Amino acid sequence: MPRKSKKIAVERQLFEVEAQPHLNALYSMALRLTRSPVDAEDLVQDTLVRAYRFYDRFEAGTNFKAWLLRIQMNTFVNRYRRATRERQVFDGPMAVPVGEGVMSRASMRGLTDPVGDAQRRLIAGEINRAFEELSDEARAMVLLADVEELSYKEIAEVIGCPIGTVMSRLHRARKQLQVSLHQHAVQLGIIEGDDDDDIEDPIPLEAFRSRKARKS
Amino acid sequence: MSCKLVRRHLGAFVDGELDPATQIEFERHLEACPGCQEHLAFEGSLRQQTRDSIGGARAPEHLWGRTLHRLDEIDEARADHTSPIEVRPMRWRQTWPIAAAAAAVLIIGGVVGLPESPEYQSAGMLQDVMNLHSQALPSDVQAEAPQEVVRYFKGKTPFPVKPAKFEEPSMKFIGARYIRVGSRPAAALYYNLGGHRVTLLVFQSPEIVRNAQRTHVGGREIYYHDVGGNVVTIRQQGGVNYAFFGDIDRRVLFRLAANARVAY
Repeated sequence: MPRKSKKIAVERQLFEVEAQPHLNALYSMALRLTRSPVDAEDLVQDTLVRAYRFYDRFEAGTNFKAWLLRIQMNTFVNRYRRATRERQVFDGPMAVPVGEGVMSRASMRGLTDPVGDAQRRLIAGEINRAFEELSDEARAMVLLADVEELSYKEIAEVIGCPIGTVMSRLHRARKQLQVSLHQHAVQLGIIEGDDDDDIEDPIPLEAFRSRKARKS
Repeated sequence: MSCKLVRRHLGAFVDGELDPATQIEFERHLEACPGCQEHLAFEGSLRQQTRDSIGGARAPEHLWGRTLHRLDEIDEARADHTSPIEVRPMRWRQTWPIAAAAAAVLIIGGVVGLPESPEYQSAGMLQDVMNLHSQALPSDVQAEAPQEVVRYFKGKTPFPVKPAKFEEPSMKFIGARYIRVGSRPAAALYYNLGGHRVTLLVFQSPEIVRNAQRTHVGGREIYYHDVGGNVVTIRQQGGVNYAFFGDIDRRVLFRLAANARVAY
């Protein structure tokens, strides 16, 4: 069966060349999703096995990393999360609107330009802690956007939701991270707490666009 | 453009996800507004710090090798015993001149079907069934007491699933797994017939007998489709469809379909 073996070998080689550069991204994401190195390894392996089985379904020219991450998200949601009773949805804590003006200028400056390695490490630790407190969905948004730097369109495909939903979920996730980071940073004395900023209401971009359209 | 608006959508601005016109307006505002510049610096810096803090885990050295080992197993399975169900039948025929009777698929479907788009007709479904078989997915539940299998599928499929029984003594039940055919939940039951892989799919598919040909075996009415030189055989009984697929002698297929005991 030389022809068949050859076909398999060619496909296999293509897959390896395409997949291997994304191994660290997959593992990094899996580790953050499962919070366990053992589970993360299993998740990555299951993801790659599934991807290889369905390799013929991959549309050439689209983002392979996004495709792998989508498979991994689905595998995670179906297998690993189903096992735990925890199921945080955006209707839960994520539905609470987060004010825009969450911190003062002084606080912002303190977090923007950490002074010295010690402070940098402290803030990094606090970002980690704040991140771990987020819901599964919010963590996925931050990972896909801020760590993997996927476009909103790609994130929409990975998560399986409209782009508008990506925008609002991502915004909320980032704000939650900032609020949590800020509160702890003040408590730890990394930055000084003061509350001279007002809490602002979010303004939808559409309102601005339509206002602008009316003017012109 | 207000500071409020700019700050609200600063994230999308940093991500480069605003439409070009709005992007330019944002840039114009930012140039003239020190307050928003500070917000921008914060947004950018926090993005960088987040990436550095939570990203960048490196996969352990052995993970890639471990994965390749699993891929080897898939390749071996594909090379060893795939099936009449090669996606391109002509090619399969050239490659496997003697490997007749390599495998068979038996499909059992309820008559009450889920609504499916018009383009997903029986031909597309048959193709999906073939692909599912050629992928040779592993069992989720091993050959156990029928009750174990029934329990496994409970809640997964909208119909109860039992491993079918056959008169042929060489037909052995191996295992089963949950699967999807198109958008439908389905059960795949794996058998072995004298060394040849046999897959039994259970799903709701009234369309599968559409345009099928018809014959009689042992007093039973049998439908069948010719698909790329292979044959899918379907039996209807008590509101259920039974279909066999494979390159094994069609008389054997017809007999399996006619004698399968599903409702017991």
